[in-house]
Amino acid sequence: MDRLLKIIFQSLKAVRAFKLRTLFCLLSVALGIASISVIVAATEGAYKKALEIVAMFGPDALLVFGGGEEARATGQRMKTITLDDIETARQAFFSAYVVVPMTAMREVTVSHRDKKYQTLIVGSTSDYSRAWTWPVVQGSDFTEEDVKGLRNVGLIGQFLSRELFGDIDPVGKYVLVRRIPVQIVGVLSERGTTPAGDRLDDRMIIPITTLMRKLQNETTYVSGLRIRFYDQKNLDFHAEEVRAFLRGRHRIPEGEPDDFTIISPKEIIKFLVALTGSLVVFLGVTGVISLVIAGFVLANLFLLSVRERTREIGIRRAAGARKRDILFQFLGEAVVITTLGGIFGLALALLSSKLLMYIAQFPIYFSWKAFAVGMILSWAVGIGFGLQPANRAANLKPIEAIRG
Amino acid sequence: MPLCLMENIRKTFHTGAIDVEVLKNINLRLERSEFVAIMGTSGSGKTTLMNIIGCLDTPTSGRYVLADKEVSHLSDDELSVIRNEHIGFVFQNFYLLPYATVLENVLLPTLYVDKQKDNREKQAVDLLHLVGLKERIRFKPNQLSGGEQQRVAIARALVNDPTLLLADEPTGQLDSNTAEEIMNLLREMNTRGKTVLVITHDQNVAAYAQRTVKIKDGTIIE
Repeated sequence: MDRLLKIIFQSLKAVRAFKLRTLFCLLSVALGIASISVIVAATEGAYKKALEIVAMFGPDALLVFGGGEEARATGQRMKTITLDDIETARQAFFSAYVVVPMTAMREVTVSHRDKKYQTLIVGSTSDYSRAWTWPVVQGSDFTEEDVKGLRNVGLIGQFLSRELFGDIDPVGKYVLVRRIPVQIVGVLSERGTTPAGDRLDDRMIIPITTLMRKLQNETTYVSGLRIRFYDQKNLDFHAEEVRAFLRGRHRIPEGEPDDFTIISPKEIIKFLVALTGSLVVFLGVTGVISLVIAGFVLANLFLLSVRERTREIGIRRAAGARKRDILFQFLGEAVVITTLGGIFGLALALLSSKLLMYIAQFPIYFSWKAFAVGMILSWAVGIGFGLQPANRAANLKPIEAIRG
Repeated sequence: MPLCLMENIRKTFHTGAIDVEVLKNINLRLERSEFVAIMGTSGSGKTTLMNIIGCLDTPTSGRYVLADKEVSHLSDDELSVIRNEHIGFVFQNFYLLPYATVLENVLLPTLYVDKQKDNREKQAVDLLHLVGLKERIRFKPNQLSGGEQQRVAIARALVNDPTLLLADEPTGQLDSNTAEEIMNLLREMNTRGKTVLVITHDQNVAAYAQRTVKIKDGTIIE
């Protein structure tokens, strides 16, 4: 043990002595390790983000939109769900604690004094905040009376609030939604951006009745409904119940496709994983390639080094070094360099992921996993690609080595 | 028992189709605390003989006993241990590690000792005092003169307290004054009880030895 420690100490000295070799090996390993640990962190980040979004969405919630799978694929949304459907569902599903209608309009011009902004207007009942677990941080949610009375009140997202009001508290102020004046009664908490780049805080919530009658001239149909169940474990089962219920109400004969789409948290995760998957594959391929290249750079520079230091090996052998002492020394040099490369690579990964998050809004999360994978890979490269040169060094014949 | 006993040592190299017999029937005795010179011209086989005496190489046939141990057929690892314990090498071109300090160079053989003694470093420093380099301990080899480098090499050869100090043309790269100093140093080590074997083609170097063995065409002629 003592002997091995001394040999490793010799490795450290050589790493310091042969600076150029160290630098080249270190850099190439660092690049490989950096890209691979970014991937690990990105995968983890995507997963974490997915869970966060599911938590936002509600792990116990289903979302039902009008229009079947085909309509969704082409981006159209058909209005097939009625307020009546929702009212009946509310009474039918005892296992659900929230059943709310949803309807929304995109790119509606909202203005306050001389400031104009095109935003998303969401219609909801007074349960919006509870249905979406989206707390109101200033002011308060609108009430059932507001919904029944088609009152012109609304909740505002923080992004939209900043666009229209700057730093001024918007609660109590009026905005014009198209031509209709609406009083802001509350501000929603900040939610940030989706992985797809949508600003969640760029929106306004008004009573669904107000939206339908005054903006859409609509009395029956809504875009969809949201339903939350007490026992999230049986969500798949509840989804089937909802499907059967709506098919029954819409009188869809057996064999015909649904005229609505149910979205569950599982599907959201699937979607997010697919979104980040392509980037992960790209980075993964480049990462593996660069790590293999790093390995070859290392192996070649070490072979060169062994040739250059043949006499050193001879001197050590004459002084009593065994084959394995030489092997461990050179292997030690390789592992020390790749360890340094790994550490450097992880630092690089941290830096580049900061940049990536900043420009691409891509969720990256560094945990011990990324570090562990980075370190283990760098040791693997050190041992894997350092072994052959180290073996060659160890197997030089002393009398030939000492001649140089 | 003598320190070294060689009986009927032969060494044959296979170079392509031809076998070259470099050593033919060598018989050699080396007593403890002797100072012996092996003389021969280049191509006489003296380097091969030194390699075998120094356990860097094994004979094709014959018997070689070093310090009461038959070493002619030991494995590579076993020979490494013998070299580490019993042989101190001094080479013509000094062969110091360029990236290590004087002290680190002297300590090199102690790295490969299994049973570590404590005061290795003190011993190395003492040896450097003895060879007159106490001011140069932290220097790198390229900051030293040839004579100083050879002194470092001698200190390195002695650090594990070997039974045999083996010097191959130790003055070959040095001017005559420095050569004299180095040879005097080797003689001093001999008077302190170390067995010294010098391989040389130089009559002046051989003159320091108590006894000279002459080798020609792979056989001892005198």
